[in-house]
Amino acid sequence: MDLWARLWQSRPVPAAQFRVIVERNTALTGGYFQLDLEAPVSTPIAETRAGQFVMLRGEWGRDLLNGRAFSVLDVRDDRHFSVLAKVFGRGTALLSEAEAGTPLTCTGPLGTGFPEPEGDELSLLVAGGVGLPPLHLYARRAAEAGAAKDVVLFYGGRSEADIVLTEAIESAGVELVVATEDGSRGHKGFVTVPLLERLRAAKAEGRALRMLSCGPTPMLQAVRKLALELGVPAHLCLEEQMGCGFGVCLGCAVPVYGELPYKYCCTDGPVFDAREVRWS
Amino acid sequence: MSRLACDFGPLSLQSPILTASGCFAYAQQFEQFLDLKRLGGLSTKGISPLPRRGNPVPRIYETASGMLNSIGLENVGVEAFLSEKLPFLASLGVSIWVNFFGTDFETYVQCARELSEGSAGRIDVLEMNISCPNIKKGGIEFGTVPEVAHKLTRAVTEATDIPVVVKLTPNVADIVGMAQAVAEAGAAGVSLINTITGMAIDVRKRRPRIATTYGGLSGPAIKPVALRMVHQVHRALPELPICGMGGIISGEDALEFIMAGATCVQLGTINFSEPSASVRVTEELDALLDELGFENVAAARGCLESLDPEPPHQEESPWR
Repeated sequence: MDLWARLWQSRPVPAAQFRVIVERNTALTGGYFQLDLEAPVSTPIAETRAGQFVMLRGEWGRDLLNGRAFSVLDVRDDRHFSVLAKVFGRGTALLSEAEAGTPLTCTGPLGTGFPEPEGDELSLLVAGGVGLPPLHLYARRAAEAGAAKDVVLFYGGRSEADIVLTEAIESAGVELVVATEDGSRGHKGFVTVPLLERLRAAKAEGRALRMLSCGPTPMLQAVRKLALELGVPAHLCLEEQMGCGFGVCLGCAVPVYGELPYKYCCTDGPVFDAREVRWS
Repeated sequence: MSRLACDFGPLSLQSPILTASGCFAYAQQFEQFLDLKRLGGLSTKGISPLPRRGNPVPRIYETASGMLNSIGLENVGVEAFLSEKLPFLASLGVSIWVNFFGTDFETYVQCARELSEGSAGRIDVLEMNISCPNIKKGGIEFGTVPEVAHKLTRAVTEATDIPVVVKLTPNVADIVGMAQAVAEAGAAGVSLINTITGMAIDVRKRRPRIATTYGGLSGPAIKPVALRMVHQVHRALPELPICGMGGIISGEDALEFIMAGATCVQLGTINFSEPSASVRVTEELDALLDELGFENVAAARGCLESLDPEPPHQEESPWR
């Protein structure tokens, strides 16, 4: 079985809760930071699929009760993995200050991953902000499997500072298309502009296409609109406030079309078919 | 016999540590995290006669030492519960408390009857929720007017042979009056407390943080209120079994509830961040009972002593 097939066929393993320590906390531009984490013993994290996430919590006593959800950026082996974050509230503020050696509790891997590509489909990955990790992981894994030419990463931000961790994508041989709203790097404007050009060109060639996206909601809504208008399949990796991350608190409901009005971001998602998401 | 074994009215529990309704779903998700057979018991997600789909989003928001939720009593309904969820629960061999509710008087009684008809001996307690802040219709007077609670409890206990434990809301002026009303109507005990109604605001968006504006506050933030209510009810009704809950995250928290008068306790919000917390709390409680010289849980129940009185004030010190 080739690596590509193995990556997709690995069934989600039961999640576990385990201790990790911060191996490195690297400040990036734009207020982003990368946490490299190390578990003392073997964990199920090696089986993580692109799109799956972990819940992380520090030794926060009786305040900040719940873990915070982070999409997995990188997995090196069953003990080492990384996440990307940016300060939004108190939880991420505390994590941003975590020094090497800081113990955290991790629950994961949780949720679903992006679905397997069909045939020689061209996968257009569309990332923005802290939505980069699942697509970064996807792109590098595709490259490892010898399918670098079957993926293109479109990456948008407000300015140059919001565009991080691109060296690994370029060195993996994956085509990268950057757009910034102020034009300080790549195309000027929203990333959906070069995305639309590429969609049209690929459709004109008759190439089978799909989009995978993760990022701010307005960006996901724009990707969804393009997908529906052009008839291109798309999967969106969503973010919601989560209490538990494993399907118990029912806090992370996602409005959907279908038999039931809601699905759950943590167990049915975070990856959803763009057509089923019920956004106003 | 284990130090942790205890009796809740007619029920024997292997441990006083249970898990709380709405915080443990139907338990399957927890199998990957802990040995469920070590629980004293568990209370299911609240069951209604028909399935319910829950409230709009956002449904949860974390606050200081607590969280607000307004899930809306989403559940699979009696029929699916009995066929799809109960067999797994019954296989665990721990005390199964089925939390249930209706939207009016008749559906409460109907729900209790359908659950007990389908139970086949697999349900140990019907925990009647008369206190959820998150349903709009009916509801509120069941949990807040003693006469209404009494009538409802009477009708439900007459419709089932399974012991009925009534879960009370703290959002009342007189918790003792409520406990007394349901006890006199035939309740086997009370669960204290459900969430406290609360609110949070996003000032930048000028919007409430959760879709229904108000939600139920849980977690360590509410523990002092819960303890006070358990103590008040136990002092007034020492024979009434009380299942205490509200922000318990350690063995010491659990023992506080037991000393205040709880017979057993439930863990709620902590299960979200630490799914195996119930096992840890059980071990902590066992060690603490041993350390403090209690032979068993019953010996610690309600053992709270009053503080020494202060000597009377006088203008001149008696010590020269």
